[in-house]
Amino acid sequence: MSDQRPATSYEQDLLPGTRSSDTEYRGPSTEYAAGGGQGLPVLAPGQVAVLSGEPGLGMTRLGLVMLSGYTDGTVAYLDVRGWLSPIAAWEVGIEPDRLVIARCREVVRWGRATAALLDGAAAVMAEVPIGAKDASIRKLASLARNRGTPLLFRPIDRAIPAGIAHLMLEAREITWTGTVEGHGRIEQRKTRIIASGKAMKGMTRTIEMEDDGSNALRVVSGVGATETRSATG
Amino acid sequence: MWYPEWALRRPGAPQDEPGQAVGADGRVEAVNAAAYAAGIRRGMRRGEAEGICPPVTTIERDHSAEMIAFEQVVTEVEALVPKVEIVEPGLIFVPVSGAVGYYGGEGPLVERVVKEIDRITGDGYRIGLADGPFAAKHAAAGTTGDAPVHIVEDDASFLASLDISAIGREEVVATFRWLGITTLGELARLPGSAIASRFGAVGLDAHRLASGRDRLPNPRELPVDLAVVERFSPPLEDLEQAAFVARAMASRLVQALASIGAAPFRIVVEAEAVDGTTRSRTWRSADPLDDRAIAARVRWQLRAWIDGVGVGIRGGLAALRIEPADLSGVGRQLSLGEDARAASETHRALAETQAIVGLDGLLQAHPQGGREPVDRVVWHRWGETPVRVRDPEAPWPGRVPGPSPALVPPDPQPFHIEWDGGMPVRVRLGSRWVTVRSWAGPWRRVGRWWKGEETGDQYQIVTSAGAFLCEIKGEQTWLVGIYD
Repeated sequence: MSDQRPATSYEQDLLPGTRSSDTEYRGPSTEYAAGGGQGLPVLAPGQVAVLSGEPGLGMTRLGLVMLSGYTDGTVAYLDVRGWLSPIAAWEVGIEPDRLVIARCREVVRWGRATAALLDGAAAVMAEVPIGAKDASIRKLASLARNRGTPLLFRPIDRAIPAGIAHLMLEAREITWTGTVEGHGRIEQRKTRIIASGKAMKGMTRTIEMEDDGSNALRVVSGVGATETRSATG
Repeated sequence: MWYPEWALRRPGAPQDEPGQAVGADGRVEAVNAAAYAAGIRRGMRRGEAEGICPPVTTIERDHSAEMIAFEQVVTEVEALVPKVEIVEPGLIFVPVSGAVGYYGGEGPLVERVVKEIDRITGDGYRIGLADGPFAAKHAAAGTTGDAPVHIVEDDASFLASLDISAIGREEVVATFRWLGITTLGELARLPGSAIASRFGAVGLDAHRLASGRDRLPNPRELPVDLAVVERFSPPLEDLEQAAFVARAMASRLVQALASIGAAPFRIVVEAEAVDGTTRSRTWRSADPLDDRAIAARVRWQLRAWIDGVGVGIRGGLAALRIEPADLSGVGRQLSLGEDARAASETHRALAETQAIVGLDGLLQAHPQGGREPVDRVVWHRWGETPVRVRDPEAPWPGRVPGPSPALVPPDPQPFHIEWDGGMPVRVRLGSRWVTVRSWAGPWRRVGRWWKGEETGDQYQIVTSAGAFLCEIKGEQTWLVGIYD
């Protein structure tokens, strides 16, 4: 983040070191990413996040950035499509030796494999196949809480049952810069994300994130005024 | 090299009448010939043995007393082959790879060793020679007094014939038998992932031993100096004082190792006398040594030096040093700061996952050289070693620039682009068309023409629904990656 630009009120809530010292902070209970993903909340042990959005809106990379915050131990990605490129994970700061990718298309095995990974990985990001049952997803969320393993669901073309996610991030829009009428190359993107859940203290917020391909993904502003909804718990 | 009756060789032990030595757990650990003839076997409970042969004389094991006499055996063997490792009084491992060449073969080496120890101890020894300690120990255990030497030609086939109880893990042996696995060979033939899934780390250890994959007697050195040292002024002249200090030192050593997620399987005990002479001895164990086990071995060794043959520790003990010499044995060396328990849990969880998704379903990846995203990754099964084909550090001009697409299909997928005047205007995503906002390219990809690869043109297509890396070959457009 540039030192020149004053922090917005949203950043003052999310970014460590930007809050005024005389202000009593009652922000989200989650901790913060130590390296990549400045300003992104890092799930505490046992918390569950849901990253939804169409392929192309940047949620895979966002999930990898969140995984990169867990530097103690192995992080696991459950790859239903078999399309995950580990290069993206390395670019955001996950060392090759710390990343394990489980490929599993079949729904029953998907649940068992995710449960097994929750038993030993430092954090798990699991793509959710279309046929996965709500009960299975709830069980996995419960298991994650019991095991104290952060779990990121990345649903593929399906909804995640309500009430299980500590943090919900939904991509709404993406803007790439660097390409102009055949020239250049894609360089940087801005993603508009709707964040909600307990981590947002029950409120829904629109945030914008910048990503230049490294692990320096940042919250750049709280572009949307805070929407107030009924608290979800 | 093993003396099964060594515990009964110390003064006061019965010689001609039935005698047995029992360990702290009340089980028989050594029997003499008369007791063996009466039906007493190692591993029996004391009461059971005394029921079989009521006149048997029972003595408690006293390792330090046994070590006094055994020190001379170790010294003689070490004069022939260096780096002897003691497991307990009566059992040593000797790394012979170098000595075999020096003495002109395994046979001449064994002959020479036998000649020396026969002079000191007479018969009663058993010698097994194999590639690994596990096989060597069982080779020695399988010998008889008439043919006390067994040189194993092929560890795998030798181990395959052993009974499943040889793994020494009572908690899983019964289950293996119940499953119909009665020999190590049958266990070794099962996939490791299935064993890990059902039995966890204990099962994996058993499978590793059954497969002949043993820790070497002389493994790598430690990366940092973790030895604990105490200097004494005035020098210690009493064994109990030294043993007391050794307990504190062992505790410090184990704590230091635990902080890096390790435990020693070998320790080197080194004592410096006031006259400047230094003596050292290596002790090893099949299981990690804890502080009590280390302290006990230091005590046994000090007593052997003080009360055994030789110069002793003249003038008192000026310094004592305990050095951990082998932190492997649990399969791998843990990295600094890594939590051993967490690593073990992770290993088990991944092994279980592998059993669920299959060997080819649990993968790791490492970078290698290449231009296309799919070429820059070398995949390998979890637990296996990657084999790089291309140097990732080499220049790869024309490589797809970063940031890389997060989603890359293993095989390019058909992709539909609508063109207008040579410029992309719309792409089809599922059932809908999305307007192209901007694009970069084309970049000509010549490919390996000598292998018949077709030339193609790559584009980065940016839409409101995301960015895509695609390639046009001939009339067909392919999706190569999604910048998700």
